[in-house]
Amino acid sequence: MGINRYQVYKFFKLTFIQIFLMSVAVTCLFPLFWMVRSAFMTNDTIFTDKSFIPKIIQLGNFAQAWTDGNFGVYFLNSIIYTASVVTGIVIVSSLAAYAFSRLNFPGKNFFFYMFVAAMMIPLPGSFVPLFVLMNKLGLVNTRIGYILCMINVGLSLSIFLLKTFFDKMPADLEDAARIDGCGKLGIWWYVALPLAQPAIAVIVIFNSLNVWNEYILASLLLNDNSKMPLQKGLMVFQGAHSVDYPILMAGLTIAALPIILIYLVMQKHIIKGLSSGAIVG
Amino acid sequence: MKRLFCVVLGIFLLTGCAKKPEEQNTITFWHWMTDRQKAFEELAKKYEEQTGIKVKVDLYAPSDAYTQRIIASAQAKVLPDIYGILDKKEIFASFIDSGFVADLTAEFAKDNSEWEKAIFPKAIDVNRFTEGNIYKVKPGIYGVPIDVTNIQMLYNKKLLEKAGIKKAPKTFDEFLAAIEALKRVGITGMVSGWGELWMLDCFASNYAFNIMGEDKIMATYRGEVPYTDPDWIKVFNVFKTLREKGAFIDGIVTKLNKYSEQDFALERAAFSFNGSWCVNVYKDMNPNLQYGAMLPPAIESTFPLKIWGGAGSSFVVNNNSSRKDKAIAFLKWVTAKEQQAYLAQETKNLPSNRQALSSIPEILSDFAGVMDQTTHPTIWSHNENPLVAERYIKGIQSIIIGEKTPEQVAKEVQEIKEKELKKLRKE
Repeated sequence: MGINRYQVYKFFKLTFIQIFLMSVAVTCLFPLFWMVRSAFMTNDTIFTDKSFIPKIIQLGNFAQAWTDGNFGVYFLNSIIYTASVVTGIVIVSSLAAYAFSRLNFPGKNFFFYMFVAAMMIPLPGSFVPLFVLMNKLGLVNTRIGYILCMINVGLSLSIFLLKTFFDKMPADLEDAARIDGCGKLGIWWYVALPLAQPAIAVIVIFNSLNVWNEYILASLLLNDNSKMPLQKGLMVFQGAHSVDYPILMAGLTIAALPIILIYLVMQKHIIKGLSSGAIVG
Repeated sequence: MKRLFCVVLGIFLLTGCAKKPEEQNTITFWHWMTDRQKAFEELAKKYEEQTGIKVKVDLYAPSDAYTQRIIASAQAKVLPDIYGILDKKEIFASFIDSGFVADLTAEFAKDNSEWEKAIFPKAIDVNRFTEGNIYKVKPGIYGVPIDVTNIQMLYNKKLLEKAGIKKAPKTFDEFLAAIEALKRVGITGMVSGWGELWMLDCFASNYAFNIMGEDKIMATYRGEVPYTDPDWIKVFNVFKTLREKGAFIDGIVTKLNKYSEQDFALERAAFSFNGSWCVNVYKDMNPNLQYGAMLPPAIESTFPLKIWGGAGSSFVVNNNSSRKDKAIAFLKWVTAKEQQAYLAQETKNLPSNRQALSSIPEILSDFAGVMDQTTHPTIWSHNENPLVAERYIKGIQSIIIGEKTPEQVAKEVQEIKEKELKKLRKE
């Protein structure tokens, strides 16, 4: 019994796909591995020790990064900012997306395209007017000012994603809810939001990442160290000309952990959210 | 629901829009230097103990974020009492024009110019606008340098010893002999971050000053002397000679300075061309590195070899601040001998106050000792057209990799120069 051509083709195709996917995985994971490996090294060995596992393991880098970088305060701030901003974005964007998708009001398309157009403006481009506005409102160096700005940053993409999701929601579900006595807010709360869970998961992870890693806007709007996010702590280890690499890598490892955790917890929803559409309802 | 909304809105309005009264005994100081934050905080604490004036030191790093913050704050008219302008001199001039920077000329002149005399003149020059300046700014001194910097050659004492070289070379011939001796024992001669065009420009400019002097360089920039002049060919030949002698580390023309710093710190080359900030870098990378600083070895003796240098970081005082006098007093205090020595010890940067030189580490003293031989494009009467300057530096890179001869490069640069001069005449 000989091997047929189809089996050979399938074998090579699968092998090629596996090799390609493995190389992509290695490309993604290697920087993480390098970060963790460097976090265990010393300043003396980081440029000389080329071994896979460092010859001298320095566990104290993590403690030093935590204390020198004042991570306790910054960590708490980042948790507050991430939780508030993501909650704000989910509430506002789901309400707005629901309105753009299911309600009729004058200028509906105009306002929606305005939101979409906002995605094209890079954040640094709006720094000066944003700062002037926040200063006029007396919101510079306040937590609420930073949170409101960050909610605004994440709205465009979130509204766009959710509107696409709500557009595919069957009208019958709304009618059924209306018969059961639901108003517009009731339908949004009891029908639309639960159905949009996969899309919301995507919004949560994207925006959590964005807020957790944000620093430039924080340094523009906040003055007090006590209000700064976690990324500020990482700046301590980077001088104008020199960088304390092992401590910085230990700090980065600490900073990356919560985001990796969120991703692991929500990955099922994220994949569903990214590939969803036809299954709504 | 509506009630809740009103309550939340009310809280926003009450907490957000209330303006805080200005504190007269607190001055704000914004900077971008992460590695100096602790030292600045210490000085602020000491200053408060001595004067009762509190100094709030705010760090905004990296420098890009700092620049954004300064521009946004200027627009909103909420600049701090003391800040730095990390941009070209024309931006500095525009801040002065807009009334954001205090003129410190009278302060520097007080008590028989005591303050001005204490600081390296080259560092003050960077903050000075002279009579008839091209920016049309009222002549005067507008900034205070808190440290200085310059770019020299570094040599590794241990590697030179291995090659049997007892003293750092002083002339170009001695330097070439040292390169030969190093080659014999398998040690690479020289490394530098010449993948960064400005560093290569800096090295070439050192030799241009040494070979033909400042007047002829400026005459070239004005279009009165061609790049095909024998003196310019001599400048280009410096690189040809060094290449032929095998002085350079592999890939020097694509190397970024941070990688060249690694090479020197890890003893992969015996000489390096680098700025005084390297003291900080080498201390972190290899605390046991034994090295010294020297001027690039001169070729000619008619004109002095000039190195690039001047103010490292400078600060200005907000002209609209109600605490302007207090801010100036603090800057005077920071640039006094004792505080400058402390900053140099803690941050390993060169002090701007020359009286502090006696109390700083030896390597910093080596660097600071030649501050009088520094120059910088920002204080020259003319600067080269950017297109010509780019061709000139890229031409030198071509000589280093053996792609072109000095004569070819000189001809090419001169052709672009003539084209640009023609354009200028038409305008």
